[in-house]
Amino acid sequence: MRNLWLLLQRNAFTIAFIALMAVSVSVLLRNNGAARSSWFQKTGAVSSMVEAQRHEWSNYLHLSEQNVQLAAENAALRSQLLSMNMADTWREDTLLGWSVRSGMLIKGPDGKPHTLSLATPGRTEGITQGMGVLAGGAAFGTVEEVGEGHSRILTLLHSGTAWSCRIGKGGPVASLGWDGRDINVLQLNDVPRHVQATPGDSVFTSGYDLRFPPNVLLGTVIDSERKPGADFMKVSVASAVDFNATQHLEFIIHRADSERVVLAQPELQP
Amino acid sequence: MTALRMLLMVILQAFILRDVTPFGEWTRPEWALWALLLVPPQASPFLKLLSGFAMGTALDIALGTYGQHMVAGTALGGALPALHRLFSPREGYEVTDRPTLQDMGSSWLIGFTLSAAVLYHLVLMVVSNWYWHLLPSAILPSLTSAAFTTMCCVVLHMMVYSPDRRNPTH
Repeated sequence: MRNLWLLLQRNAFTIAFIALMAVSVSVLLRNNGAARSSWFQKTGAVSSMVEAQRHEWSNYLHLSEQNVQLAAENAALRSQLLSMNMADTWREDTLLGWSVRSGMLIKGPDGKPHTLSLATPGRTEGITQGMGVLAGGAAFGTVEEVGEGHSRILTLLHSGTAWSCRIGKGGPVASLGWDGRDINVLQLNDVPRHVQATPGDSVFTSGYDLRFPPNVLLGTVIDSERKPGADFMKVSVASAVDFNATQHLEFIIHRADSERVVLAQPELQP
Repeated sequence: MTALRMLLMVILQAFILRDVTPFGEWTRPEWALWALLLVPPQASPFLKLLSGFAMGTALDIALGTYGQHMVAGTALGGALPALHRLFSPREGYEVTDRPTLQDMGSSWLIGFTLSAAVLYHLVLMVVSNWYWHLLPSAILPSLTSAAFTTMCCVVLHMMVYSPDRRNPTH
């Protein structure tokens, strides 16, 4: 406080000069139209520039909060979307009963054939083993293990897994896997020879593995390979998920999942 | 005394000498500057600043210019301490020195008055015109007006502080 007082004392003349000049300029601006217009023109441009810059910084600083908010909103919307019968009109079908909750990927696949990924949240927020995981609306993997706050994800990029899917929404079911080579290319095996698979065709989940609802996008056909005399062909699929850039995940679960799992167990089958 | 002198000059400029502009805008003198420049160099910087502000305010009220002379007067009042320092003799000002022709000499008086007048007229030009594109055409009339103001101030000095008036017996 004393230093402030000394500083003010030392610069008293400058402060007095600025104060009197401010009074003079304010009188001038109040009474002179040309001066006022010119002043506001100049200061208006500067203040709008400053405001635009401040707005930009503010937006940037709030980006992560907005991302979290958008992810939660996305999850809610996807829950709603998956609970609608998309084949007919947009009518809610409570029998489908899928719900989605958002999460964050904290360790993604690194391109090795058996890598597992880690994500939040975990058991405390209702994540259970076997849940399907989406990234940007496309299939990403499934929950393999659940901890208190984290989950281990088995992604499509695991060479030991097979995912039930079909080319187009009405094609025959085939299994999708990864040969461990190119992170962006998956392989669709056991596709019947007669199936038309042209580059650009979409590949969807079949829903038969009980992890994903049917018709969730997996990727698009790049190429098909028909060997002479074979009944099945191999189709290369470009993954719909960018595994290198994924951050936000969505965990999906069926509301009657436990019942479905119990009924699907082999010992209960006749 | 300074205040009275300033008031008198403001009244004179506003009501009598206002139209003494032989070449129109090229020679528009500011008579009240003479009174402001008579503030002694030894005076406090605050007194100089307040004198400039007061002179500008009085001129604005008398001439109806609303703020233009206030800005110019404050600028000059703020610059007066620096101008006094700039024009100070090598050994500094004597306690009895007044900024007059007799005490400081003609070269000091003309240099000091011209510098102050140029500053005042240039600031006045800026606040009168405001727009950048109008300023180039206004610079030359401001400089000639500053020179004319200097001439008027020197004439006033000669009239008011003439040696004959001081020593009527000579």
